[in-house]
Amino acid sequence: MSEPVQTNNTESIEAIETISPWREMAGIFFRNYEAVFGLVLLVSIMVFTFIGPFVYTTDPFEMVWAPFTRPGQEGFLFGTDYLGRDILAEMIAGGQVSIAIGLAAAAISVVIGVCIGAFAGYYGGIVEEALMRSTEFFQVLPTLLFSMVIVALFGASLLTVTFAIGIVSWPAVARVTRTEFLRIRELEYVRAARSGSAKDGYLIFRVILPNALPPIIVQANLMVGSAILFEAALSFLNLSDPNVMSWGQVIGSNRTYILDAGFAVAIPGFAIFLTVLAISLIGDGLNDALNPRLRQR
Amino acid sequence: MKRKLSLIVTALAMAVTSHLGFASEPTAGGTMVMAIQNTPRHLNPAVQSGTATGVPGSQLFAAPLRYDEGWNPQPYLAESWSVSDDGLSVTLNLVKNATFHDGHPITSADIVFSIDTVKANHPFKTMFAPVETVDTPDEHTAILRLSQPHPALMLAMSSQLLPIIPKHVYGDGQDPKSHPQNSENVVGSGPFKLAEFKRDQHIILEKNENYFMEGLPYLDKLVMRIIKDPSARTIALESGEVMLSIFEETPRDLARMKKSDGLNVSSDGYSAIGSVVWLAFNTQNGKTADKQVRQAISYAIDRNFIINALMLGTAAEAKTGIHPGSPFYDETANGYDIDLDKANLILDDAGYARDSDGMRFGLTIDYGWAEIKQFAEYMKPQLKKIGIDVTVRASADFPSWAKRISNHDFDMTMDNVFNWGDPVIGVHRTYSSENIKKGVIWSNTQQYANARVDELMQLAGSTYDVEERQKYYAEFQQILADELPLYTLFAAPYHTVSNKKVGNPPKSIWGGSSPMDKMYLSE
Repeated sequence: MSEPVQTNNTESIEAIETISPWREMAGIFFRNYEAVFGLVLLVSIMVFTFIGPFVYTTDPFEMVWAPFTRPGQEGFLFGTDYLGRDILAEMIAGGQVSIAIGLAAAAISVVIGVCIGAFAGYYGGIVEEALMRSTEFFQVLPTLLFSMVIVALFGASLLTVTFAIGIVSWPAVARVTRTEFLRIRELEYVRAARSGSAKDGYLIFRVILPNALPPIIVQANLMVGSAILFEAALSFLNLSDPNVMSWGQVIGSNRTYILDAGFAVAIPGFAIFLTVLAISLIGDGLNDALNPRLRQR
Repeated sequence: MKRKLSLIVTALAMAVTSHLGFASEPTAGGTMVMAIQNTPRHLNPAVQSGTATGVPGSQLFAAPLRYDEGWNPQPYLAESWSVSDDGLSVTLNLVKNATFHDGHPITSADIVFSIDTVKANHPFKTMFAPVETVDTPDEHTAILRLSQPHPALMLAMSSQLLPIIPKHVYGDGQDPKSHPQNSENVVGSGPFKLAEFKRDQHIILEKNENYFMEGLPYLDKLVMRIIKDPSARTIALESGEVMLSIFEETPRDLARMKKSDGLNVSSDGYSAIGSVVWLAFNTQNGKTADKQVRQAISYAIDRNFIINALMLGTAAEAKTGIHPGSPFYDETANGYDIDLDKANLILDDAGYARDSDGMRFGLTIDYGWAEIKQFAEYMKPQLKKIGIDVTVRASADFPSWAKRISNHDFDMTMDNVFNWGDPVIGVHRTYSSENIKKGVIWSNTQQYANARVDELMQLAGSTYDVEERQKYYAEFQQILADELPLYTLFAAPYHTVSNKKVGNPPKSIWGGSSPMDKMYLSE
């Protein structure tokens, strides 16, 4: 897709007129090497964790060998942890959970954030005041502490951890959504729809929201990365479900042995780093592709 | 060549030993900085259990007796003592020259007051429960009248458990538990006086010039720095910033400090503290109410793996709820060495069939604080081998764990309980059917009840004859090894880490909770 001839073609007037906006976006995205690298990386990680269990069937909780067998020895690619559990199996199982928590928590925060931001931006006035002040209330709370309180109150399970991460990270989405709504609701086509006596719900979700989506998509994407980091932080503080393997859990349970067996902490740490890096690169690529002002770069 | 080398080594070794021999003459004077791990709630062990208060408390307050390394009582405030033939009265003859830090003489009235205060306020009710009255024929004689022979009394008269506090200060009508002089202006009776107590920072103690033991304490000043983080303590010890640390139990740090040239790492002492880590079962509800399930689980646990791999060999094997350092520990009790086949057989015979996934049933396991989480995590894969699906339950903090366990809402839990010297004080509470108390942690939360066990505790707790007591406690431990209200993993590895310049670091059975008046700094 990088032949110079083709690039020249897209710049001609006829080409732009015939390409759909999504295809155009994809074109810009795929010309961005960093973004493509991020995407390839993320897909590989997904394949590793979601296809992995069918190929590598060791139970991540089973104690298979002596504790802290070094990576590469005795046939263990990543070695074993403090209980003698296979770190490769832990990485596979843990990746599923980390990524699932990341996606679910981001979804929760997007749903809450979009609803609050949309209503605030659309209705304005007293509704906006009330919603945005409460958003600010959540925004000023230290996020990690707040999520720790939620987990402490309701117990550490997969659900509460996901919920806790989602509930502390929606304010950013709400603010982005509101800003977009404030701008778009005054545009001609919205006014036209409104004068055609369209209902509020239709205007918010069918007319304005699709046009406000690009920055929200970027925001949501970055949120997946931060949710994965958040889960790792909670696990590190022993505030995660001990019955579910996650990358953060692997770090948390081996961290006291960091001086003697650093690999048991470094490997999951590196996995988190790669995943968050991939997601950030994709987010950057999406931002470039979706933001009209940056398209000329 | 090799021979020459070995000669040099021998010569060097001799030089070092002779140097050490020379250095072991106590030298008086100097300021010593030591590390403690927690800020105590206050400094008065008469109304507060635990070693956080006991360590500084044992420096500030003297007690009737003190102990050596071998469970032998030594004269302290009592220069001599005697037990009547019927065992129902104990006479203490106090030293004549002892004074409190404010100059008031220490008299038998203060002994009475201290015993009354401890009896009324201290959580360990069994310590002085049989003490009916204390007679004081003169200022330096106290006679404790007992309702039954009470062997635990002797250990309970140590400074960790019975500090002698001044009646003229703490007897002013204020609640002793919240007395303002528990934390500041402490008027003590021990080798050191309180100079400053700054929460989360330090406790500074100064030599008591009028201490009743001649020539002691050696140190002019003892600074207890509060350092919570074990790695930070390790670094401070290695750099020589801190000369002594007590109650050290983090395996990684201990292993590291053992390799350090300037440090002595010793596990001597602490057997009266008697810290034991175990897996407790709910013996009344759920699958663990079945003795065979408890036995099968115990056969499935690999104690050696836990001691050597998880504790890095720093912990000592323990098979029963009595600490292995205690004279009443029974080595012959069944320790349930790992035998997975036997465990599976027991469960098969008991009718717990495996389902299509190979699982028989599920159980939960709790843990109350981060240091024992790893043992709970270990149970999950280990008990899967015998078809038990273990769910690890995390508690947000210590109080929420304590609430769950003390309200008997659990199947299994990891726990760490102290013997506190005599079994009557720290062991009976775990097994006595009278001590099944909802809402009280470290009571008989297993809800275990056995009439013979109750009887044996009563018998062993009311005779001074050590051999007879050993016989009762042996039967007691045999029954418990069969019925298994709990499975003991190991004795917690308390260590004293001291700089090589430190002479006489605390090594008595009370470990760091004993008076450090004979400790000194060489050079």
